[in-house]
Amino acid sequence: MRTGNLALAAAILAALFAAATMPAHAQASLSPEEARALEYGKEIYKVKANCQFCHKWDASGDTGYGGIALSLRKTALTPEQFAEVVKCGRPGTGMPYHDQYAYTDKRCYGVTRAELGKDAPLLGESLQPREIDAVVKYLFAKAVGRGPATYEDCVDFWGQDTRQCEPMKK
Amino acid sequence: MKTLAFAGALMCSLLAATALTPVQAADMTHERALNVSKEPHNWLLHHGNYEGWRFSQLKQINTENVKNLRVAFTVALGGYESGGRYKHGNLQATPIVEDGMMYVTDGWGSVYAIDVSGGKKGLIKWKFDPGTDRAWAGDVACCGVNNRGVALWKDKIISISLDGRMFSLNKATGEMVWERKVADPAIAETLTLAPLVVRDLAIVGSAGGEFGIRGWIDATDLNTGKQAWRTFTIPGAGEPGNETWKDGKERWKHGGASVWETATYDPETDTFYQGIGNAGPDWDPEYRPGDNKWAASVLALSATDGKIKWGYQYTPNDPYDFDEISEHPIINAKVNGEDRKLVVHAARNGFFYALDRTNGSFVAGKQYVDQLTWTPGLDPKTGRPLNYNPNTDVQQYAPGSHGSRTGAPSGRLCPSHYGGKNWEPGAYNPELNLLYIPSIEGCNTIDTVEQKDFVDQGGPIKPRERFAGGGGRPTERLYGSLKALDPATGETKARLKLEYPNYSGALATAGNLVFLGHYDGTFSAYDAKSLQELWSFNMGTGINAPAVTYSVNGKQYVAVLVGSRQALNVWQNAPELKNTATASMLYVFEQQ
Repeated sequence: MRTGNLALAAAILAALFAAATMPAHAQASLSPEEARALEYGKEIYKVKANCQFCHKWDASGDTGYGGIALSLRKTALTPEQFAEVVKCGRPGTGMPYHDQYAYTDKRCYGVTRAELGKDAPLLGESLQPREIDAVVKYLFAKAVGRGPATYEDCVDFWGQDTRQCEPMKK
Repeated sequence: MKTLAFAGALMCSLLAATALTPVQAADMTHERALNVSKEPHNWLLHHGNYEGWRFSQLKQINTENVKNLRVAFTVALGGYESGGRYKHGNLQATPIVEDGMMYVTDGWGSVYAIDVSGGKKGLIKWKFDPGTDRAWAGDVACCGVNNRGVALWKDKIISISLDGRMFSLNKATGEMVWERKVADPAIAETLTLAPLVVRDLAIVGSAGGEFGIRGWIDATDLNTGKQAWRTFTIPGAGEPGNETWKDGKERWKHGGASVWETATYDPETDTFYQGIGNAGPDWDPEYRPGDNKWAASVLALSATDGKIKWGYQYTPNDPYDFDEISEHPIINAKVNGEDRKLVVHAARNGFFYALDRTNGSFVAGKQYVDQLTWTPGLDPKTGRPLNYNPNTDVQQYAPGSHGSRTGAPSGRLCPSHYGGKNWEPGAYNPELNLLYIPSIEGCNTIDTVEQKDFVDQGGPIKPRERFAGGGGRPTERLYGSLKALDPATGETKARLKLEYPNYSGALATAGNLVFLGHYDGTFSAYDAKSLQELWSFNMGTGINAPAVTYSVNGKQYVAVLVGSRQALNVWQNAPELKNTATASMLYVFEQQ
């Protein structure tokens, strides 16, 4: 029994810790408008800009045929900085830019394509400012600053009509 | 009245049966498979014949008149929808054509039976959609949503789906007779290759070399829909070759060696020649000290029982992801005045190899790509890379050509890790004795990231997680080549520089033509001797599949599937194609 109590105490502690580290807005129930915005951001992450190809569906980053992509769950960037990276990419890495006019002038990091030369990033899917805003909001709501993704996160991403999340079932 | 109506109906149905539908095709037998040259109007086997030649004897369309080729008809297909990590499916299938009926697949495994007997249009007579679990399978497909086609057997169509199932379908109606779960996506196994049917067996293998599978080749008894045999491409504990995995942690259990393109088959000895994929993790060879057999190899196996007769490894302890899954044509040739039975291969590692197919001994090897930096050459006796060191477990090929755990920056790797030649099949014209190799030219860079162990080895990596040990990085624009090689020596007899790397594959015909599609949508015909372009047509969307040719009612047609997801590696190299839309079409051409 002692063990049981200890386990219970540990579980409570863990839950408290999880609650403390979770972004506050994730706990509040979402308005229909906020829920729609997250869904919109998810579709951009999942399909339109296909961010998941390199960063993985849970944004934990990966190696492989998309090159080497960082974990977005562990990013230290602010939403504004994050949006800039989506818009401008990261020179010298595989992270593409999503403003198709980036580097045609000095809007990104104050440099042009000519100045960057071989370090100029590649063009990803072209996104409008509202789309960049949506994908950043989605990631800060669902991934940034969180621990490992859960089964529930997986079902949230992929839906119920696939066996994709079965290995994560406890 | 009743009698008259009945007679009328009977006449109508007779008319319909004779005039409007193709002649009921005969059963596909082993005898027919061995004698495809007796049916030049058909394209019955994935590679055209068991020998892997992709050569048609049809010559109505030839070097003189190919300039008059025009579109006869097109057919819109499906399968370009998103799923898993992929925004689009792909078309990579080789059409199978039998007596005016064509059978093609899309990337998600739907099979389309298209009546092309009229020559004016293609009517989809039936479609079989296997209901693939797209997220489940698509998330463990390294490099696209792909399906390379079907096989014929008796009165059935044998097909596969990305989520690991094989199907036997009624050829006349598309109704499923049975399905068998062959590969298991729960451990990242997927199926992408067209089955090789030998007698009553359908032979396939598992993809998944970037996700920690242990590769295998598997035969299904088509009469029962049950497994006949399975042979792992990485030998198990105690089996010959297992000693080439020297990590001491049984890492061979997740060592890759995938199989994803159809083998060639020699009926004389009942042997099939299966190209085997990269070792896993792809880019961290320090994780897997030893030669890592039979990754980056060819295996000669008995079709009857799957027993390995011999193996030959191209790139031991491969640090580049040099899969060698692509076709291994069977060719008899004179070498130094002596008749030799060869099996040949234009390898992803940039070299052409000719092996003695009776015992796997090395006959000849030669660089066929424009630039090759990872080794100074091949040992003339063994064909091993000259900088291979038998006294070390982790190979150090040319400095800077691959990454390492020291973190030292890598340099140029030529050919790039895409190849050389990737999966896209070449073709062989036996009348000219020339082998046509469509290739990817240029260089890139590999970065190594130390790979963590799987959970069953005490590490954190779970099944289905990516297991690549690094990644590739583009450093310069890739381009392509079409080269005509002497199959006995690998000597390049003619060459043509292509604007784009080739990801589609070749067709050779007795009209002295070579057909090739390109990823800017251009479909071209080349002179088989000079490789000069004689004709081209742009489809407006990428081509990722090899063409075939056939004839109905005495008239020759050329058919190709058109529609490519324009993968990362495509538009990284060709940003001008970035806005090309994906489509999913069959194009059929005829003589004006």
